[in-house]
Amino acid sequence: MGTTAVAIFIISGVGAFLATLLVFAERVITNYGDIEIDINSGEKKFTVKGGGSLLETLNAQKIFIPSACGGRGTCAYCKVRVTEGAGSLLPTEEPYMNAQERAEGIRLSCQVKVRNALKIQIPESLFAIKEYVCVCEKITDYTYDMKQFNLKLVDPPTIKYTPGQYIQFLAPAYEGSPEEVYRAYSISSDPADKSTIELIVRRVPDGICTTYLFDHLKEGDRVKINGPYGQFLLRDTSVPIIFIAGGSGVAPIKCMLHEMKNAGNTRKAIFFFGVRTTKDLFLIDEMKNFEKELAHFTFVPAVSQPEEGSNWQGVTGRVTNVAEDYLKKQSDAKEYEGYLCGSPGMIDSSIRVLTACGIPEEKIYYDKFS
Amino acid sequence: MKKSPQQEKLEALLKSSKFSMCGFMGDDKRNLWEVIDTDATAIEKLGKKQEEIAARMQHLTDLAASGLGDWVQVGKNLQVSADDNRGMIPCPWPHHKRCLKRITTARHSATGRTIRWSDLNIHLIKEHGFFEGRGSPFRIEPQELVKIIFCE
Repeated sequence: MGTTAVAIFIISGVGAFLATLLVFAERVITNYGDIEIDINSGEKKFTVKGGGSLLETLNAQKIFIPSACGGRGTCAYCKVRVTEGAGSLLPTEEPYMNAQERAEGIRLSCQVKVRNALKIQIPESLFAIKEYVCVCEKITDYTYDMKQFNLKLVDPPTIKYTPGQYIQFLAPAYEGSPEEVYRAYSISSDPADKSTIELIVRRVPDGICTTYLFDHLKEGDRVKINGPYGQFLLRDTSVPIIFIAGGSGVAPIKCMLHEMKNAGNTRKAIFFFGVRTTKDLFLIDEMKNFEKELAHFTFVPAVSQPEEGSNWQGVTGRVTNVAEDYLKKQSDAKEYEGYLCGSPGMIDSSIRVLTACGIPEEKIYYDKFS
Repeated sequence: MKKSPQQEKLEALLKSSKFSMCGFMGDDKRNLWEVIDTDATAIEKLGKKQEEIAARMQHLTDLAASGLGDWVQVGKNLQVSADDNRGMIPCPWPHHKRCLKRITTARHSATGRTIRWSDLNIHLIKEHGFFEGRGSPFRIEPQELVKIIFCE
């Protein structure tokens, strides 16, 4: 008995000593002191305490580098160019870098430790990205798997974005998902209202973020987003537009239509919205309103497999086929600009249709769900 | 057997809920290698190879994708459809593989039984022999999978 107690005491003592040593090492040996980070050749400089990852250090300075894995080195979204101070490429980064990226000094910012003065290059657009605290103001049920979330910005109270862009929504930890995650959603709001962000989200079966949004988020809850991101933008021309979207792909198109309405845009535009069944249809009244408010806008919902007995009176067929039939009847088809949002399959199929109808590929803009 | 740091990191990632709700291991108490070995034995008993199963799943996913969300008939007894969701999901193994967040559903017309898989499931089965742990939302039981996807 006595021997056992002594053994436990010794083991506990050794454990406590090692723990103290680790804390000491963390505070003293790995204390890198103040370190300067230079972004884009002096465009922005700040001094930070060293020791953290470059990703978290930049986040603390309100510079948000896209990341989906929370710094685990697995999503490879957080690439930045480090021109000085990062040391050699780590084994954890190697699988994610091609030869050109290695030559250019591209690094995973979540893996690079801030130990020396660093010089980095990031796209200018990332400076405009901010984190926003919001209150979920309203949740609207559209279909069995589609909801709209209106988020009122609290801090900062307004956001500037271009229609077609997206934000990253932070789903906090909740029962069944102990870690917070970011997921991207297109903005569907009226850009005239700079204090609200509206998202149209389709439930992903067992998806981490959509399960939070659909089953846990309540009106009045506080949430965080950051953004805006993306280059899917309405071009400033006067040529006719063909919009094609499926499901939640309607979101950025709706935002663009608001912008056209606000600007008194009189461009000819037609929107083909594809769904599988009549139960998947939503936003019909809003789109009919756009038809009244925009001088030359037409909305065409297309149902590919209407249920028996649904009495669907509208256009039946795959949205790409319906769009193709329309374009074939237009003498000015090759003048159109195409704006597409939806699944990669739908986008690829739409591109084939539009180019076959004479629209040059460089005039087709899209936001693939990938 | 002592695990290498890489194996430990991999198992931690598979248990994490960062990419998949409940993690890729679910609430499975077995370690990763037991899960893989048990499923490998099961598919061997079924007379199949993991590459063969993954190839069939990929074929069905490609057919489903051509339907742009509609059900596509495959042979007499099988219908498949594919739904795309926004974003990509990375493979938790340490290599640069990311998959579309696409979910394929296969439905046996006669029995009404359905089974679903993601593009990542196909990759995990083909490259890593991993059907995910029990309790993971995307765990696939090899027996059930084989019964449905080869039912034509």
